[in-house]
Amino acid sequence: MAFEAYSSALDDADVESSEIDGSVVCSATHYDKQRSPAGVVAEYLGLNPQPTFNVEAACASSAVGLRTAWALVSSKLHDVVAVVGVQKMTELSSEEIQELMGRAGDVMWESPFGTTMPAYYAMYATAHMAKYGTTEEQMALVTVKNRKYGMKNPNAMFQKPISVEEVLKSRPVSAPLKLFDCCPNADGAACLIITNAEKARKLTDRPVWVAGLGLASSPMSLAGRKGPLTNFEVTKNAAKAAYQMARVGPNDVDVAEVHDSFSITEILNYEDLGLAKPGGGTRLLEKDETELGGKIPVNIDGGLISKGHPVGATGASQLFALTKQLRGEAGSTQVDGAKIGLAQNIGGIGMYAAVTILKA
Amino acid sequence: MGFEKFGRFGYVSQTKINPLLSYLEKGRIAATKCKKCERTYFPPRADCLDCRHSTIEWVVLDGKSKLITFTQVFFAPPAFQPETPYLLGLAELTNGLRVFAPISPAVDKEELNPGVELNLKVAKGSRNNLYYWLE
Repeated sequence: MAFEAYSSALDDADVESSEIDGSVVCSATHYDKQRSPAGVVAEYLGLNPQPTFNVEAACASSAVGLRTAWALVSSKLHDVVAVVGVQKMTELSSEEIQELMGRAGDVMWESPFGTTMPAYYAMYATAHMAKYGTTEEQMALVTVKNRKYGMKNPNAMFQKPISVEEVLKSRPVSAPLKLFDCCPNADGAACLIITNAEKARKLTDRPVWVAGLGLASSPMSLAGRKGPLTNFEVTKNAAKAAYQMARVGPNDVDVAEVHDSFSITEILNYEDLGLAKPGGGTRLLEKDETELGGKIPVNIDGGLISKGHPVGATGASQLFALTKQLRGEAGSTQVDGAKIGLAQNIGGIGMYAAVTILKA
Repeated sequence: MGFEKFGRFGYVSQTKINPLLSYLEKGRIAATKCKKCERTYFPPRADCLDCRHSTIEWVVLDGKSKLITFTQVFFAPPAFQPETPYLLGLAELTNGLRVFAPISPAVDKEELNPGVELNLKVAKGSRNNLYYWLE
């Protein structure tokens, strides 16, 4: 799986394994059977004896992998680095996955009460509904939109449309979230080749530039977070850093990939990234502003809700979709003249967030 | 038995704040307070963030709180499946600190909304385990 992504990345970048002088393997390793997967991944990709190591930031692993590779290349320690996001989740039984999911929160103060990944996001949904009148129907619109675009992405796990009614009728997972408000676990891989400007210009006449890298953290415990829990401070902080570094604002973004681990997350993300005002995320959806042809198309590769969420690969998969857009290679979902793309990737239950801005 | 006695299903056995269990056994819920700078912590912690001192005292909480948000869990980790569905909440105590806790099954879900007043009380499990919940 990692080889498929790596091999097509090499073809695309027109480089050979011998030119890659380091690899950053990104996965949330607790979901893998293989311990320290960088070892076996680098071996299979033919990347020995070059340096390799794992980067883990839960669901944001490969966004942090890009940050790491960028620093390695900018410092001139390395010339060409492969960022390999990969996750093989289906080797674990659903019992094992559920047990792991139960320890997604603070194991001392929150997991002993039976927390789950969806439970945390559901608590944000409850708070958003109470403060802004957000409804379950509005949340379902995220799934409907992302499934629609999943049908145009041959790599997506779900290839069928869904109706608001089907989402509302799906079984409850953690109220108010239901099965089809949740993205599915998946196996997957995505690869990025990172190099310096000089080399990039030699390799291609259409390089995509890393313009902004924002990363922030938040307390892991929900009790340690402040405010009404109607937004993720961690995204706001990461976005601020990324906008500042890229010298752009939310209105300059042509196309975005945001972390739709759950339908409510996409709504919060619109607001936290400044694409909508606080409480205004649902309006953006209802006015079709995040559709292809809208003011700011979001997750028009299908998002995690359609593609599935191979935790360690997700961040790189978002950046792959943006790269296609910025090069004008996105086919039937191409945003005309896309020059600036933004990816936002939340780690775990919101303790990490990465915002990456790419420019054509 | 160490700290794994805490909660419905505890994961951690050795901590610096095991005395919390003695308070729970007596039907009380206690926070820690830094003896040097007097900052109070709940959930309890043994090391002060502000002055980095590790001499603490325990202070009993009145348990009065306001709900910030909640959920009802239907799809649970294996150890919790027999109890589904169950309620989890985040509440703010009168001292401004926050607590993540189960909500007692005696509470009617329809009555729950951010802002409602609840009390943090000691709860006992069937395996001699101790914790607190909102009721």
